[in-house]
Amino acid sequence: MTIDQDKYILNVDDLSVSYGDFVAVKNVSFKVMHGEIFGLLGPNGAGKTSTLSSIEGLIRYKSGTITVDGKDVKADPLYAKASMGVQLQATSFQPELNVVQILQLFSGIYGVPMSRDRIRGILKEIGLEGHEKKKFSQLSGGQQQRISLVISTIHNPKLILLDEPTTGLDPQARRQLWERIEAFREQGHAVLLTTHSMEEAEAICDRIAIIDRGQVIAIDTPQTLIDTHKNDPDVIAVSRRGKVTLEDVFIALTGKTVRA
Amino acid sequence: METTIPKTSTVFASLFRADLQVAFSNRRSVIISLLVPMIILFTWKPFAQKMGGPFVLSTAVAIGLISIGLMAYTLSMARDREKGIFQRLRLAPAPTWVIMTSRITIQLMMIMVLTLGVFIVGFYQDKVSLSAQGYICSFFVAILGGAVYLSLGQMIAGLLKNFETINAVTRITYFCFMMVGTMGEILAVNPTVKQMIRFSPYGCVRMMLGASMDPAKWNQDTTTALLVSFAYIIVFAGLGIKNFRWETK
Repeated sequence: MTIDQDKYILNVDDLSVSYGDFVAVKNVSFKVMHGEIFGLLGPNGAGKTSTLSSIEGLIRYKSGTITVDGKDVKADPLYAKASMGVQLQATSFQPELNVVQILQLFSGIYGVPMSRDRIRGILKEIGLEGHEKKKFSQLSGGQQQRISLVISTIHNPKLILLDEPTTGLDPQARRQLWERIEAFREQGHAVLLTTHSMEEAEAICDRIAIIDRGQVIAIDTPQTLIDTHKNDPDVIAVSRRGKVTLEDVFIALTGKTVRA
Repeated sequence: METTIPKTSTVFASLFRADLQVAFSNRRSVIISLLVPMIILFTWKPFAQKMGGPFVLSTAVAIGLISIGLMAYTLSMARDREKGIFQRLRLAPAPTWVIMTSRITIQLMMIMVLTLGVFIVGFYQDKVSLSAQGYICSFFVAILGGAVYLSLGQMIAGLLKNFETINAVTRITYFCFMMVGTMGEILAVNPTVKQMIRFSPYGCVRMMLGASMDPAKWNQDTTTALLVSFAYIIVFAGLGIKNFRWETK
C-alpha cells in the first residue's frame, strides 16, 4: 500500500466550531491523503463529530477552512458533497421505503441512477439477496451497516467519512467491515473514520489524530505514537498488559476521567 | 474516480419518486385526511340548498386543505427531522430547496386530488355543479389556499423542534380552524368577531374558494382576502424558513 504524501484529498486548516459560548473545536488542522485510512480518536465530547459535521457541511463552523479535493466546502458545497461518501453513526431512511427503493433514491440523488437488476446485483454482492422488499428497520445491525456503506459509496467517492462505523457490530461483522475499508484504500479511496476502538485504529488506520477538548493533541501513525510515548511515566502508569498499547497512550494523553 | 455533481432534475426525480412511494404507503392517512371534507358534503346537503352549493364545496375544500397543508405536511417534516432522515439527505449533493420542493409538490398533488374529489362527490351527492370557469378558478385558488396552510405548517415546524409538541400544536390548530370553519361564521354574532373569522387564514381561503366557484360574486372583500392570504404566506413561510432547522439538536 502506497500513500501519496504529496496529494491530499482533505485539508482541515485551523478549524474552530462553537455552539453559543461553548467552543467544541479549536484550531484543528490535519490532512487526509489519497489512499489513506485516517482515524480521528477522542473521548466523548472531544469534538470528533463536530469536526466531521463541519467537513460534511452539516454545521456552520466559526473559522478556518476545509477543502475537499481542492475545493472549499463552504464555497462549493455540492462539489464537496459529491466528492464524499458519508456514513453517519445512526442512519435513518424513510421507514415506508424498502431496501430497493432506498438504494434507488440514493443512487438517483448521487447522480448514478440504477436499475432494479443492478441493485439486486449489489445486494447479492453484500449478502443481502432476498432482502429487497424488506424495510431498513427489519434488517439486523450488520445488514443495516452494509446497506449504509453501499449508499455512502454508491457514487465511487474520493473521500469516505465513517462515523464510528463498527459500533454495535459483532466481531465477525466488524472484521468484515475492516476488510471493506481496507479494500477502499486499495482502490485509491481516502477514508476518514472516527472510532473509540483503539484496536480498530491500530489495525486499519495508517495515521491517527487524537483530539481532546476540541484540540488535536497528537497526530501520527499508531506505531510512531506508541514508540514516541512508550517511556512516558503516565503511559507506563496506565499500561496493563506489560507492553504499551495505543490505548495506554490514548488514556495517558487524554486522562482517566470519564467524559459525558 | 471522477466527481460528478448530479443534475438538479435527476435529484428532484429521485426525491419525488421516493416521496410518492412514501405517500402511497401512507394511503390510509391520505384517505383519513379526505374523510372530513366528505363527511361535510354528506351531512351538509340541507346547507347546499339554503346557502348555495359553492358555500358547502368551499367549506369542504378549505377543511381538507387544513388536513393536508397543516397536518400531513407539518407532521411528516417533523417526523423526518426527528428521525434524522433529512440529515441523511443533506449529506448528498442535493440542494435543500430541491428536498423541500419535492415534499411540497406531493402536497400540491394531494390538494388537486382533494379538490377533484370534493367536486365529484359534491356533484353526485349534493347535486352541486359549477361553470367550467368556476372549476378552473377553484383549482388555482385551492393551490393558493393550500399554500397558506403549508406555510403555516412550515412556521410551526420552524418555530418548534420537538415532534410531540408539533403534533399537539397542529391538532389544536386544526381543531380551532375546523370549529371556526364549520360554526364560526354561522354562529358568531359580534361583528368584530365575525370580521376576524372572515379574515382568519381559514376565512380568507374559504371566502376565495367560494368566490372562485362563482366568479360573478368576486368582490372587494374577496380581493382583500386574496391580499391577506398572500400576506399570511409571506409571514408564515418567512418565519418558517428562517427558523427551520434540519436537525433537532
